[in-house]
Amino acid sequence: MIEDLFFLEKQAYKKSPVHALDARVKIIIAFAAIIAIVAVPYSTMIYTVGAIFFAFFIVLWAFSLLSPAVYLKRLAVILPFGIFLIVFQIFFKNPYYESFTTIATLPFGIEIYAESVQFASILLVKFLVSVSFIILLSSTTRTQDLLEGAGRLGLPAEFTLTLGMMLRYLYVFGYMIRKMTQSLETRCFNPFDRTLPYRYRLEKVAYAVGTLFIRSYEQGERTYTAMLCRGYGRESHLYIAKKPLKGRDWTFLAAGLLLIIATPLLAWARIIVLA
Amino acid sequence: MHIPDAFIPLPQAAVYWIIALVFIALALRWARRELSEEKIPLVAILAAGIFAIQAVNVPIPWGTSGHMMGAALAAIVLGSPFAAVFILTLVLIVQGVLFGDGGLTVMGANIINMGVIGGFVGYYSYRGLLPVFKSPYAPAFIAGWLSLFVASLACAVEMALAGTFPLELGLLSMGLYHAIIGIIEGGITAIAIYLITTARPDIMAEREVVPA
Repeated sequence: MIEDLFFLEKQAYKKSPVHALDARVKIIIAFAAIIAIVAVPYSTMIYTVGAIFFAFFIVLWAFSLLSPAVYLKRLAVILPFGIFLIVFQIFFKNPYYESFTTIATLPFGIEIYAESVQFASILLVKFLVSVSFIILLSSTTRTQDLLEGAGRLGLPAEFTLTLGMMLRYLYVFGYMIRKMTQSLETRCFNPFDRTLPYRYRLEKVAYAVGTLFIRSYEQGERTYTAMLCRGYGRESHLYIAKKPLKGRDWTFLAAGLLLIIATPLLAWARIIVLA
Repeated sequence: MHIPDAFIPLPQAAVYWIIALVFIALALRWARRELSEEKIPLVAILAAGIFAIQAVNVPIPWGTSGHMMGAALAAIVLGSPFAAVFILTLVLIVQGVLFGDGGLTVMGANIINMGVIGGFVGYYSYRGLLPVFKSPYAPAFIAGWLSLFVASLACAVEMALAGTFPLELGLLSMGLYHAIIGIIEGGITAIAIYLITTARPDIMAEREVVPA
């Protein structure tokens, strides 16, 4: 994940109409889309809502001028656990349906139910849409802008300060991990090498973990002392300048929110039905 | 163990968020009052360190790779379960918002599982076992193992309550898998604590119990 951090920031520093939008607007749109898609009940109307939301995401991604490969690469990192949970759904009965029809019987008495397959597909739609909006948000917004945007939206000062410091040092430790791995590699140590005793490998990895802990603690002490020297105290907080939204931001925010709120309502009222 | 969005319905997710927020508020208060000075920056940087620690690939005996949670380690070294709540909350926010690892609506549940349960189980099992073993390493191992195992069971229960994974199978598969991964968590916690007490004994919050 730490290598992805550098990849992510590289994408976020590119220029495009989506990158240029204010971070606040992107945060609100992404969060609203995720909350809306999660709020839609587990029913087949999710297909309509999901399709429209996903189309909205694709349009935004196209305007971000990022390659689809970036999206797919990031998606591949996120998917495994969610997909594991989704695939297994087809074998289970769940409380959201009253009756279940078997469509296939496997050895050991395992059955696949039509309703469960449908439920799995509903979960998949919700999962994909929410993950896509997170990928869009973090691929087009620099972490520093995200932080300031969150602060302007009212995230308490304690959090902007701590998250800000954490984000800054994330990259420091990213490089540190890279150096530690490289120096272990130059000594021909591979934690997955089966010719080495397991205990030995675990010990080496644990030393790396312990060292990282001590180094981050010491970095914390140094930074804290440095901050004290510059007047850090109880009332200190991250300074975030006021920044009014531009006309373009307001337009996009209004249009985006309208789409996100109207789509589930219209699908619920069966005014738009795609599937 | 990061529950993704959509696997817990919104009303239930909101309840977990409220519970998590209470613990986050308590953790903030701890960072302000209990740490000898106003050491919030130190804990924030340590959170970046724990994030990095979670990125270290750890071999698991049967060939796959896993990674640590680090809640027990943070709670034991800093001497409070709230350290784990504080640190894991920051880590989970970054993982959720930047990487999509763990959902936004379910972040409350994830904070409860990994931060609150991981931290409290890790810390109090360590403290409870310390007088029994007279050395910090066996309790640290058990604390690391338990913190992961109990957190995974809580995760299975939450998914069952949400109706997105059956209880027995969830408990069995999550429990079994994390009982194995937990051995690694415990082992690394114990060895890392050995390293920390050797290299920087002053960091350990409860120095009196650590043999010099």
